[in-house]
Amino acid sequence: MGRITGSAIGILFVFWASAVFAGTISVGAVTPLTGKLAVYGEGFQQAMLLAAEEINAAGGINGDTLEIVFEDNNSTSKGSVSAIRKLITIDKLSVVFGPAASSNFLAICPIAQKNKTILIGAESAAADITKCGSYVFRVFPSDLLQGIGVSELTTALGYKEVVLTYVNNDWGVGLAEVFKEKFTASGGKIIDELAHAEGKTDYRSEIFRIKRHNPKAVVNLTYIKEGATILKQAYETGLDVQWLMGSAAKSPKLVTLAGKATEGIIGTYPTFSQDSPVLQAFKAAWEKKYPGKKTPIFGEYNYDMVKLAALALKDAGSADADGVKASLMKVSQGYMGTTGDKSFDEKGDVGATYGRWTVKDGAITDYR
Amino acid sequence: MTAYYLQLIVNGIIAGSIYAMFAVGLTMVYGVFKFINFSHGELITWGAYLGLMFTSPPFSLPLYQAAVPALAITVALGLAQDWFIYRPLRQSNPVSLLIASIGLSYLMRNAIRLFWGSDFQTFNLPVARGLSFGGIYITIPQLFMVTAAVVFLTILYLLFTRTLLGKSLRAASDNMELADIMGINMTRVTVTVWVLASVFAGTGGILLAMDTNMDPMMGMSSLIKAFAAVLLGGAGNVWGALVGGLFIGIAENVSVAFISPGYKDFISFALIFILLLFRPTGIFGIKGGVR
Repeated sequence: MGRITGSAIGILFVFWASAVFAGTISVGAVTPLTGKLAVYGEGFQQAMLLAAEEINAAGGINGDTLEIVFEDNNSTSKGSVSAIRKLITIDKLSVVFGPAASSNFLAICPIAQKNKTILIGAESAAADITKCGSYVFRVFPSDLLQGIGVSELTTALGYKEVVLTYVNNDWGVGLAEVFKEKFTASGGKIIDELAHAEGKTDYRSEIFRIKRHNPKAVVNLTYIKEGATILKQAYETGLDVQWLMGSAAKSPKLVTLAGKATEGIIGTYPTFSQDSPVLQAFKAAWEKKYPGKKTPIFGEYNYDMVKLAALALKDAGSADADGVKASLMKVSQGYMGTTGDKSFDEKGDVGATYGRWTVKDGAITDYR
Repeated sequence: MTAYYLQLIVNGIIAGSIYAMFAVGLTMVYGVFKFINFSHGELITWGAYLGLMFTSPPFSLPLYQAAVPALAITVALGLAQDWFIYRPLRQSNPVSLLIASIGLSYLMRNAIRLFWGSDFQTFNLPVARGLSFGGIYITIPQLFMVTAAVVFLTILYLLFTRTLLGKSLRAASDNMELADIMGINMTRVTVTVWVLASVFAGTGGILLAMDTNMDPMMGMSSLIKAFAAVLLGGAGNVWGALVGGLFIGIAENVSVAFISPGYKDFISFALIFILLLFRPTGIFGIKGGVR
């Protein structure tokens, strides 16, 4: 307790100091520094700090130093809510970087929206985040785009008729809606669509229903566990089709669980160019600051997020939320970050490019 | 088309035979001790995870050998449940027992999470094509499931009808105090009930995990089906539970021809409601069937 109070006083002091001595612009970050996401949180933090350091070395925000105030959320929604409340009400910050895990992000986006605080996410994919409101942005592509990605994949592979199955939750239903719309608009036909419940161990009834239609291809928008069970049971029951999947099932665990039943499935996943100069520069800078450490998962997205926020703060000339919001829209147009084009649309979402993956000889590889 | 419906029925029988194994254990405990044991589901989960433990290093036994110590420990867990928790509460009201069993269920489930994590696990059996009988597919683990159910329930039938122990069990489930006064050894009855319930749950758990995979919630979700089967057959009625299990297995599997399979679980819950509203004593009533 003593340590916590001590550090709290320390942090307060930093705020007091930053408020008194002009020349610092602070933004907040709700980051999982403890709890189950802590393994990733450290990487997010390091990537954000790297970006801030580069910004400050290049003259800061119109001469002021950019400072990121990190608040731990213990990897939970509850922790995220307390963290953002503190950043908004006590620290009075107008820009906050949101937490990882869509559920944590969704828990705080109404608070940010209501308090007119800009919230930016770097790891949250849930489609619902699009509906959060005008103060919420993200540099990570929405899952909804995956629906489009899978539809394009299906068409590109020449499948005109498919059976569609998806996990029966907000995520799956949302994805399926987008897929259906896009696929039927491009002349495709959905022979049958069926939702499958999350977390079950027996999907044979679903599989037999698919089998009844004798389809050539099945679009399966699902997670790893459900995906593995379905693929395995489909193989056992002699359903031989081309499986088309999204990125949520792309994991070596899928292959471990379902073995040879995964052979030949094709899926999409969000990706970005690996040889853009911005990305190369980021990798070099990372190696210099954190020698010997691998660039963390989503590190590039966190880096882009801070860089974009700094550009917007510079453009707005003050930390006023509405000004920064307008600037964020403006500066993002055509902005090429390490993860590609970060132009925000009117909903605060970015576009995405998709790669294709497949399973070959028991390993996940790029599909060509 | 006929093959499709036939396949659904076959699947229903397979699922139902496992539900029946769970339901029989649950209803036996209810019959004798007059409380619903929520932690019955955890015996299912523990059976499966113990099987996993004995098939992984340092034991690395083949599954059929691993099943023996796994079931032995599951039985020990079942007996320990009774000895440490339910026995001291035997004279208190049924609500205390119910709450205790809910608490125990959480404890045992989270112990699994502690030791093995929340992630799902498998026995890593090789993926193989099922056997096809005129377009109807059955996998080897499924054949085991049905066989195990038939063997176990036959043994149970013989035990109940042909042995003194079985008769004392039925007597105890009719009226525990009276049976005690009549000189029936209640310790033996108690032990038998828990051993049977644990073996049924543990075996079912291992078979379910063989067929698909295991996670800490597997027992909980199977327990709900078992509840529905118990209610359908009339609480305490062993043969009712058996028929109830089969009925629910078939009903929910055939339902997917008409409703989206995502809503399959809806069938067992709907059955629970309908039965509680219109026929709380089960379709056979409490008087019918062998107890």
